[in-house]
Amino acid sequence: MKGPAIEIVGLGHKYNDILVLHDVDLSIDRGEIFGFLGHNGAGKTTTVNILTTLIRPTLGRALVNGHDVATERRLVTADIGYLPSEVRMYPHMTATENLTFFAELSGVEKAKHAVAETLEYLDCSDLADRRVGSFSTGMRQRIGIAQAIVHRPSVLFLDEPTAGLDPSGIRQLRRTILDLNRDLGMTVFMNTHQLSEVSRVCTTIGVLSRGELIYKDSMEATTRRFPDETSLEDIYVQMEGSPA
Amino acid sequence: MITTVTSQQLLSLRRQRVFLAALSMFVAMTAAAGVLGWSSHNTIVRVYDEAVKLLAADGQPTPPNPFLLKPELSLLSNMVVYVPLLGALLALLLGHLSLTDDESTGLGRLIFSRRVSRTGYAVGKIAAAAIALSVIVLVAMAVSVVSLMVVNQRIPPISVLGRLGLFYSMSWLYLMLFALVGMAAALLNRRRSLALLSAMGAWLVITFAIPQFTSALRPTSSLNPIADPVGSSQRFFQITALARPISIAEQYKAASGQILSTAAPEPGWQTALRVVPLMVFVGLLVAAVVILVRRHDFSRSGNGE
Repeated sequence: MKGPAIEIVGLGHKYNDILVLHDVDLSIDRGEIFGFLGHNGAGKTTTVNILTTLIRPTLGRALVNGHDVATERRLVTADIGYLPSEVRMYPHMTATENLTFFAELSGVEKAKHAVAETLEYLDCSDLADRRVGSFSTGMRQRIGIAQAIVHRPSVLFLDEPTAGLDPSGIRQLRRTILDLNRDLGMTVFMNTHQLSEVSRVCTTIGVLSRGELIYKDSMEATTRRFPDETSLEDIYVQMEGSPA
Repeated sequence: MITTVTSQQLLSLRRQRVFLAALSMFVAMTAAAGVLGWSSHNTIVRVYDEAVKLLAADGQPTPPNPFLLKPELSLLSNMVVYVPLLGALLALLLGHLSLTDDESTGLGRLIFSRRVSRTGYAVGKIAAAAIALSVIVLVAMAVSVVSLMVVNQRIPPISVLGRLGLFYSMSWLYLMLFALVGMAAALLNRRRSLALLSAMGAWLVITFAIPQFTSALRPTSSLNPIADPVGSSQRFFQITALARPISIAEQYKAASGQILSTAAPEPGWQTALRVVPLMVFVGLLVAAVVILVRRHDFSRSGNGE
């Protein structure tokens, strides 16, 4: 496939006449790990909802792998994985049953085999036959990632993936994201508040403020551009104060 | 994809304790109807046998066994009450559970970020409810057949089994109506508790309020509780009488009375006509659930409870 993994042009969205996303232009190359930063209500989740075809944009257009999210829903969803901020699955079903369901929904042939392979890849085969209702937040997160990648998508959307995780869970998630990017070549689009995660994992960052994209550059260029700041948090605060 | 949604839903229902508890209660009530029928039959027959002996000793003629005068299926007349009360509640719960898991837990987001068509999803869920209700109805029918065999000490004739099949088929359709009401309520209310409450509100209206309005309010109905009370000259009752054909609960009971032969006989076409509004409502609700699923904003699922 050629062209960027994600391309957003003049994207806007209104909820009950309130503009929550305004004229966003963004392009993310294949194989990037993109960190999407912004305060609560900035419009990050709305952007992910649009990119995962859950809602239609009010203005502009968004392409994933060259396919329009509004008009080519089936083509877009065939090649994306999505992990929402709070992972809940069917609690009375086992991890394998849940994952098989999602694999079959994505049209995976030999779904059970794909599930076993994914669980092994994520090093959580021990959870396969346990009911999800008995899982801790960290275990649920791992199974959540498994459902997002069981059909081997090329683009993975993670919405606040570290929410509710303890430090070891966060470390494990970080490792997983890097592995998925390296081993499977997945492009990762990650909404987050965890600035430390962004600096350790992401290759590119974007900052959304009040529905507008105020900054986008590579992690390397960002740290070069703000050499005096001691942490990404300072950079973020500075960006919010002075749009680029 | 429809089969994936259907089989997941059936597996999910099989594992849900609330649903299993409601199902057990329904089957228990069906069995209880049989036991009560058998018990009263047994008592009356024993009294009859004693009376026959006494009358024969006095040289008096003996009357025929009262059960020979009653239709065989009258034993199950309680089912006509259990289906609209317990069965409909069970169906509501089934419809409610079919969608609230996906809606209130945020699973809807995951599902619709997949290659899933909304119509296919809705059809899959409706098909699962239809299959689950078929199983429930078949179990209830099997219990009824066993009850008839025990009471009459013979295998019910084909004609009786046919009527029983017809009654349970109509009951299945009646229960589908409530399963669809449960689904529609779940799609219209984001909060799980509100969805269940509004579905129960609809059940109350269909089961009690509308029949009260269309028939039971009439002064003669308390004295003469028949399906179609005698005509009234008062305009109010003339208007309410016009609404009677769409009083689903009343029509279900009246048609059941005909099928089980427990009511005064009427022409077959008239009974068939009673089922038409039920079929129309079920059809309309299927369309409504599909449209609601297509329009529903699943990106907000998980914000309910």
